[in-house]
Amino acid sequence: MQQTSDNRYRLRARTFTCMGTVISLTVPADTQKAPGAAEEELEAATAVVERLFTELDATFSLYRPDSEASRLARGELVLHDASAQMRARYEEAAGWRLLTEGAFTPERPDGALDLSGLVKGHAIKEAGTSLRALGLADWCVNAGGDVLVSGSPTPGSGESWRAGIVDPADRRTLLAGFPLGGAAPEGSGSGAFASDGGGKAALATSGSAERGDHIWSVAAGASEFRQVSVAAADVVTADVLATAIVAGGTPVLHRATALWDIEVLAVRRGGDLLATPGFRR
Amino acid sequence: MRARAAVSAALASAGILLAGWQSGVHVADTRSVVAAASTGNAAESSSELGTSGTSGTSGTSGSSGTGASGAAGSAGTGSAGAAAKAGGTYDGDVVQTRFGTVQVQITVKAGAITDVTALKLTDHEGRSVQISNYAAPILRSEVLQAQSADVQTVGGATVTSDAYLTSLQAALDAANL
Repeated sequence: MQQTSDNRYRLRARTFTCMGTVISLTVPADTQKAPGAAEEELEAATAVVERLFTELDATFSLYRPDSEASRLARGELVLHDASAQMRARYEEAAGWRLLTEGAFTPERPDGALDLSGLVKGHAIKEAGTSLRALGLADWCVNAGGDVLVSGSPTPGSGESWRAGIVDPADRRTLLAGFPLGGAAPEGSGSGAFASDGGGKAALATSGSAERGDHIWSVAAGASEFRQVSVAAADVVTADVLATAIVAGGTPVLHRATALWDIEVLAVRRGGDLLATPGFRR
Repeated sequence: MRARAAVSAALASAGILLAGWQSGVHVADTRSVVAAASTGNAAESSSELGTSGTSGTSGTSGSSGTGASGAAGSAGTGSAGAAAKAGGTYDGDVVQTRFGTVQVQITVKAGAITDVTALKLTDHEGRSVQISNYAAPILRSEVLQAQSADVQTVGGATVTSDAYLTSLQAALDAANL
């Protein structure tokens, strides 16, 4: 049974560059469909996702002098007069700042507005909404190491997507794995995958090892954690909390696991691990 | 979510137990008012959560408070300058909540709660539920394992487009082109 369905679907991936990183879209292509049909569908879906990322980057990037975010940061524009989506993201970020008691903040230490900690997660979330609107049920979006999935790599099987988490000490090896998505197929009864970690669809990782420039430590000095991975039902929550835990250390880690339905794998500076039960084998 | 709710329920029960323990102190010092105190508690609250604190090593029993806040309030404001020297462990009743079955135990030393443990915590299907989603130290060998040949996507701290070129994700993407 398993072998048959494995042979029917073959994973196909497309990538594009945006927000300073590479975004990958992976879908299981049905080999029983007409040749090229699956590729066309994937190309079209990738184009939609890429446009979405590009538009958000054009608005929110602080690396683009002409972006709305840059004009805000320079004080040429005040938030009150900013676009609706800029104000919406600011409001969202300010909400997260309250919820994380300041560990996540939409402002740089110099006071400039910086929504980059939120925008990538938001872009991934919007990409997921678009893919569903296109009628795609099974896919995996990976934006520079933050992952959101839907369905299964083997459609109809209920099988989870298997995500690996890189070892920050050796990026060629995996530190751990985590199953994402993979609900029981519709109409096939219930309970088959009840113990798959709650079927969390998103996995986000923040680190201070690489490109930690949007993470500002609450306490001065280096973060206590080298890398923090958070699995959650939605990608913005996972992304924000991973960022907040790196910034705020153990107190924020415990606050986050107490308040949100998440699984966390944290790597301390010395390489020691902290994990919630969902990351235990 | 259910587990988290159950934790809240457990903590609420701990509060109830505290009330029970306080009642217990009263019972120990003023046995004659047991009936009155219990009745007072029961009448004061109409909470759907029935519970009772049953004392352990302090040797008193039979105190019961119905409801959460009501019991705590009346017990706390009661008379009797009870020297809170009582210690020991106290089991709560098995309580049916909308999240599942909850029973907690508190340990009291020198009048202060030093520990709260879940004796029983199950969801509606009867499976046991963890009381807390605490992130604890763990050995590398105890973590969910994954081989790079066996995953479909790779998570990690944001890689730059340059770093992507040599990443595991790039290898996966290339294989799936």
